[in-house]
Amino acid sequence: MHTRMIRMTRMIVPILGATLALAAVPVWAHHAFAAEFDVNKPLTLEGKLTRWEMINPHSWFYIDVEVTEGEVIQWAVEGGSPNQLIREGVTQYTVPVGTMLVVEGYQAKDGTNKAVGRNFTLPDGSRLFLGGSAAGARTK
Amino acid sequence: MHHRFISSGSIAATVIAMSLLTANPVAAQTPDPTPVAGYTVPRTADGQPDFEGFWSNATYTPLQRRDGVAGEFYTAEEVAASEARAAERESAQTVPGTTADVHYDFTQFGLDRSQSTLASSLRTSLIFDPPDGRIPPRTTAGERIMAQREEQARLRGGRFDAVENNQLSDRCIIMGGAGPPMMNMVYNSNYQIVQSRDYVMFLIEMIHDARIIPLDGREQADANVRQWMGTSRGHWEGDTLVVETANFNGKNPIRGSTENMIVTERFTRVDDETIVYRFTIDDASMWTRPWSAELPMKKTIGPLFEHACHEGNYGLYNTLVGARREERLAAEAAAALKSN
Repeated sequence: MHTRMIRMTRMIVPILGATLALAAVPVWAHHAFAAEFDVNKPLTLEGKLTRWEMINPHSWFYIDVEVTEGEVIQWAVEGGSPNQLIREGVTQYTVPVGTMLVVEGYQAKDGTNKAVGRNFTLPDGSRLFLGGSAAGARTK
Repeated sequence: MHHRFISSGSIAATVIAMSLLTANPVAAQTPDPTPVAGYTVPRTADGQPDFEGFWSNATYTPLQRRDGVAGEFYTAEEVAASEARAAERESAQTVPGTTADVHYDFTQFGLDRSQSTLASSLRTSLIFDPPDGRIPPRTTAGERIMAQREEQARLRGGRFDAVENNQLSDRCIIMGGAGPPMMNMVYNSNYQIVQSRDYVMFLIEMIHDARIIPLDGREQADANVRQWMGTSRGHWEGDTLVVETANFNGKNPIRGSTENMIVTERFTRVDDETIVYRFTIDDASMWTRPWSAELPMKKTIGPLFEHACHEGNYGLYNTLVGARREERLAAEAAAALKSN
């Protein structure tokens, strides 16, 4: 089933290329993300947040992606360490379950419905800044 | 290291487990810093300089002085400009389809150093001795050890061939924030210091270690006791806390160090916001001379949050299972080619 999703996302990628370029340089990775995820499998997922695991070393977002009407696939998307978010007052309720998210990233090498979330945006196109005001300020 | 994670509530049990011996102070080679004019170092109920609280050593200052940089210090303006450039680099863009792009966005998760309490320094490098700001040359024996390590790594196979071939940080065993020396991390460079009369504890946010250091004058542990973070003994020299650590297990080299490394750390509170942290690495098995570095610890907000990085985390599993799948696909492709 996810094969179809990948085909779909590959079509979307060129359109969203400009927004992908907004992503920031990772200066340090806890583990080798390029080993976990496939640089040749970029994807864009749009779906509803169903669960957010704020666990270390990395948080995981679970989103339900509706492929066709009534057909939903759950994707697990890896994000950053939650500690700094918690320090800044971000909790799992800050981005509530049910929020529609657009995630640009790369699929896991094992071929399952897992991805690294390169960039998170809301459906209106605004970038989801989970972190503090400093990051937000830089974009204004 | 997580196997030895000790909560503050377990201090008593740890105390009992440690043998009572006497201290072996080493004279400082560089004079300790003094508090800024007009600042009186606060005291604990026991009369010790009060270091309790939450501290960050997040910094953009490199460990070693960069090529082309002369002098031990920048001006304040130069540091501000340098930090601004570093913050910009940290939040800069990656090119889609490149390896660097396969990562979550630091800035979105609030992980850029500029979003943390930054421990700024005028130094051009953390290393201040040798005066060139660089790690000294290796000894001949040290070069041989490095070559042996490379050969051993080669024999172990590829990084993704086995769990044990991954970095200790990948496996959540230990990270550089714990040390000793306690180096700055890219994020979560946060520490909590708790003091009692006979012990000081450093809780290290990344990745959940606690150093519980006796101050009661006992001797260093027996050389047969080998630990990830070594065994530490502390004492006061004036208002400076001195911690000496030996008995490393040698499995977590600091810039190539061996199990013979001796680390001497010195903590001096110089103002309400700052502890100056200095350390000296002495490992004659690896380097031709000791080397010393200084980085500030700046007061930050608490509490620390549990990091609980765990061996067997999803990332490690995903990495290995991905590697196995790629191997299988390659084998199938090779078999198909052969059968044709």
